[in-house]
Amino acid sequence: MSTEVKLADDRLDYSLEDLLASGDFAEPLIAGGVRCHGGFDADGVYGSPRVLHRKPAIQAWQRALQAQGHELLEISSDLMPPQYPSVDQAVLLCRNGVREPVVRALTIISVVEGFGAIIRDVKMPDLESIVVEPFHGTALAHLAGGLFEAHARDEAGWGDEGGHKQMWEAARDLAFESPEIPDDVLMRIMGGPGGRGRPRKRGFPQIDETFERMVGLMSNVLIVELFAEEVFRWGKAVLANPEISAEPEQASAMVGYIESDENPHVEYLRTALSEVAARNLRTSDGAILSGREVVHGTLHSMLRQITRQRPEEQRAQVRENMAKLFTQAENPSALREEFESLEQPWSPPPHTGFEPQLPDSG
Amino acid sequence: MVAAAPHWIRTPASGLRLGVQQNRLWRTWRVARTGIYIWAIYKFPSWTRRLLGRPTPSLRPTHERAAHAVLACALEMQGPIIKVCQGIATRSDVFPRAVVEILKQCHDAVPAREYSAVKAVVEQELGKPLDAVFSDFDTRPLASASLAQVHRARLHDGREVAVKVQYPGLEALVKTDLRSVRIACRVYEFFDPQPIALLPLLTEITDHTAMELDFRREADSADHVREIFSEGEGVIVPEVYREWSTGRVLTMELVEGIKITELEALEAAGLDPGQVVQDLMQIFVRMIFAAGFFQADPHPGNLMVRPSGDIIVIDYGLSKHLPRGFGMGLFELLFSMMTMNESAMVRAFTELGFRTEDGDTDVFLLIARRMMRRSDTGRFEGEFTEEMTGELFDAIRENPLVDVPTDFVLVGRVFSFLSGIAHTLGHEANVLEAMGART
Repeated sequence: MSTEVKLADDRLDYSLEDLLASGDFAEPLIAGGVRCHGGFDADGVYGSPRVLHRKPAIQAWQRALQAQGHELLEISSDLMPPQYPSVDQAVLLCRNGVREPVVRALTIISVVEGFGAIIRDVKMPDLESIVVEPFHGTALAHLAGGLFEAHARDEAGWGDEGGHKQMWEAARDLAFESPEIPDDVLMRIMGGPGGRGRPRKRGFPQIDETFERMVGLMSNVLIVELFAEEVFRWGKAVLANPEISAEPEQASAMVGYIESDENPHVEYLRTALSEVAARNLRTSDGAILSGREVVHGTLHSMLRQITRQRPEEQRAQVRENMAKLFTQAENPSALREEFESLEQPWSPPPHTGFEPQLPDSG
Repeated sequence: MVAAAPHWIRTPASGLRLGVQQNRLWRTWRVARTGIYIWAIYKFPSWTRRLLGRPTPSLRPTHERAAHAVLACALEMQGPIIKVCQGIATRSDVFPRAVVEILKQCHDAVPAREYSAVKAVVEQELGKPLDAVFSDFDTRPLASASLAQVHRARLHDGREVAVKVQYPGLEALVKTDLRSVRIACRVYEFFDPQPIALLPLLTEITDHTAMELDFRREADSADHVREIFSEGEGVIVPEVYREWSTGRVLTMELVEGIKITELEALEAAGLDPGQVVQDLMQIFVRMIFAAGFFQADPHPGNLMVRPSGDIIVIDYGLSKHLPRGFGMGLFELLFSMMTMNESAMVRAFTELGFRTEDGDTDVFLLIARRMMRRSDTGRFEGEFTEEMTGELFDAIRENPLVDVPTDFVLVGRVFSFLSGIAHTLGHEANVLEAMGART
């Protein structure tokens, strides 16, 4: 039984309740003893939560945008950094009894997924006073009216129904039989105080700061959601390996369920950002600025920063206490040598695809 | 109404009745007298009411009278008893709010000791005349507290330092006073059919006091926190000069900055108060959730900001290691309250060490719901406001079956302090936001 409804018309307006509504499920999803969101139809096919109207709504908004002659943003998958350690390296470590880096990585993923819930607390700007052209019947108009809330509930769970945080934990616990969690997980996630009391540097000081922050957060989340594709590929491959996983089928299936839930997140975020890019914005002093300049400028600077810094940071963190971990293996030097031989250097592509357009020199 | 401290007690270097104050017999009697008075003001009216069949009135006036008696005793005796009062003033989960509010005055009502006494301690501890170590030593203290006072000084090489000096004869007084208080608590628990569990609390205060009396431990704590932020994250922990420090004298780098709650001064220095709050939160969140070791006394007097934006954290006397898994357990509790997940709340409370006598976990949900009702949205939004912490402690106190981990109380108090500072600067102290996870 399908959990989404195909609407004959292109309905563009939805209530909060609509966007949070799920279809009926024949079987609930229970993972690691925790009732999670979504469920299975009579044929045992997994269905995502809160997509009864949300999915067709996003498709309708996308069609409307394209019908007006605008394009949907596309972020190249070439920009996606590989997960570290790689699948082969992770399997090698686990096969040799060194499970800590993989358990840590899975726990970090679960915590970061949970933090996705903060999107519901994003301060909403007064869109009517900033966006020049009408935006009634768009994803942009529904952000605070259900899209952010549905996203938050998908990631962190709601009430006694677990979300992606709990599903990643369940996948980890199934595969590695409730392993001990390294106590440095939160240290790895947190940054230190970096602001030094100085006002935040703004990319577009001429526009409303709350609006700029919202576009920044949405761009950041969109990039993370897109790059999560690599995390899913990695997670499924590692957890499905019967040599190292106690429950290869269940654990990798759990990651597959999360992956299918993420699609609406990517789609609503890129739709809303594309809608901003297709419009003009009023600056604080009453001038007009192209929305494209703000959205593309934000994505460009974030993609540059994320593709250049994060893979290196992740690699450095994993390798930080590797020497100590290798000693847990029977033959540390052989393990180290094999691990190093599996290194796959990666360099970010030179262009993000959102470079600022230089004025015509001719 | 909160009574002010007697005028004489505010006079620095009064040296009032110092001889009597040091007399152990007198100190024991003073504690006993206060204990008997408090017992009497609670018990006699209740017996009278029972005899005459009258209803029980609000106990708030009695709590206030008892608290004033304890405060007067502490201010008269000085030393360790002040520490006990300060300990009580941090435990809103155990004592009525009226008592806690009145005993908070102990934080500000500590008179300085005479310079001659301070000088004698420094010379005895360092084994040299004062002027052999310091080219200059300010006779007026920068600050005075229950166990020590701090003087500004200059080393012979020109470095400006802050010298923390423990009051003389303190260890013996601590033993006498804590023994007297322990006897008073035992007598109270013997006679009262439903006593507040004071002895575990006293044990905790005794442990904390013992830690604070050894300044070498404070130096180690400062080093530990400096190590946590060793990657140049904008946190200043004053350097301790070990060669001029002992268990009773601590010679530290003198650090100066803008008091963190001085909004106008921060703005005049070109700082963004919102960013200062965010940085401050990140410092404490990192210590508590990630490093498992924290400075547990972030009142505004212990926090300053440099014009560069670096945050200075001083006074590591009360610093604590948290048990393994505490940070993750606390994160799970906050997270479950954010997502209204009640089964996860119960799991998190249990993992943090909360216990009920009969294993009934519904009490945990009652506590969580009371905290969350203080939020506009009915769910935890990331900030431990003072109201929320107050509600938490009220709920715990009203459900006496609950065993509360001390670490949780200390951490709750830290976030309550930080929330107060954030609100003074016109912002919110959002714990989850400060965790800075990359979504």
